[in-house]
Amino acid sequence: MRDRLKIVDILTQLFWTFLKVNLLSTSGPTSVGLLYHEAVGKLVTEAQFIQAVGLSSVLPGSDALQLAMYIGYAAGGISGGFVSLTASILPPTIIILGVTMILHRLRRESWVSNFVQGLAPAISILMVFTAWKIFDKGSGDTGWFGWLLGIASLLAMWFKLPERIVIILAGMIGVIFLSQ
Amino acid sequence: MNQTNFSVWLKLLWLFLKVNLLSPSGPASIGLLYKEAVGTIMTEDQFVEAVGFSNVLPGSEALKLAMFVGFAAGGVPGVFTALLGAILPPTLMMLVVSAVLQQFQEEHWLKGFVAGMSPAVAALIIVVAWELFRVGQTKIIGRRTFIIAALSVTALWFDLPSPLVLLGAGILGVILFR
Repeated sequence: MRDRLKIVDILTQLFWTFLKVNLLSTSGPTSVGLLYHEAVGKLVTEAQFIQAVGLSSVLPGSDALQLAMYIGYAAGGISGGFVSLTASILPPTIIILGVTMILHRLRRESWVSNFVQGLAPAISILMVFTAWKIFDKGSGDTGWFGWLLGIASLLAMWFKLPERIVIILAGMIGVIFLSQ
Repeated sequence: MNQTNFSVWLKLLWLFLKVNLLSPSGPASIGLLYKEAVGTIMTEDQFVEAVGFSNVLPGSEALKLAMFVGFAAGGVPGVFTALLGAILPPTLMMLVVSAVLQQFQEEHWLKGFVAGMSPAVAALIIVVAWELFRVGQTKIIGRRTFIIAALSVTALWFDLPSPLVLLGAGILGVILFR
């Protein structure tokens, strides 16, 4: 990490990753699937990624930006955080500035919304794959206890308990029962 | 004139600082923003249009919505003011949290916390995935959606790179939903 060239490498990789992720997904939670494949193992560890997703849904404000900040910081310090942030902000900003100026033209060209409509099912499938990997690697060795926690969380969210409370509770249960 | 412009920007900045401190994510901020912005900054029609566009265009939802509202209130400078207000609270908070947590990566309690959190995070992802899959589906586009979903499962099963899968799905969407 002290090698200067390596830091430049990390920052470049962070920039491209977040640029790509923010061009191919429409909001924070939906970018998790793609981000997992791009970042885990290369830029951050599995545990850091889970912290990033968990905490970004717990803290107020945009999930996508918080994910970018956390992963950027974990991979490349403060400069990593700001590079990731910039890369996440660029695509929507440029697009919105474009749209507000040519709004009426774009509305007739429905291919943009068709593109996003086509993305949606693929993103959901990707998210299910990612959810399995996060579950398997994050708590696979905890056996039935992990399954119990997962099913309980799913039920709680199904019945509209706020996600941030479910995630914090699950984490605290982990601190009590799963810290070796 | 400059005086009034300045007060518009200040109001925008304050509005988005508030909304982003009080709501956990993009979709959740819509309700709060509606109350604050409709009638004062933009009409209901403009707001509905902004929400529609935010859902359809790539990138973070909360940011896009903020920029639309900012544009309606104060043109291009309004866009950047709203952006600033939307970016500052979540990222500064996260910067502090990540800086603190990186010091504890090897602690046992943090490992326990992650082990406990991961089933819940997985559950959260599944719930969001389900909502995304269901949103705006009518019976007619249901079959096409299903085709794309099935193809995605196959592609991901064989470890095709996920950006390629998504790009392919988007292009298929352009062809199928025409």
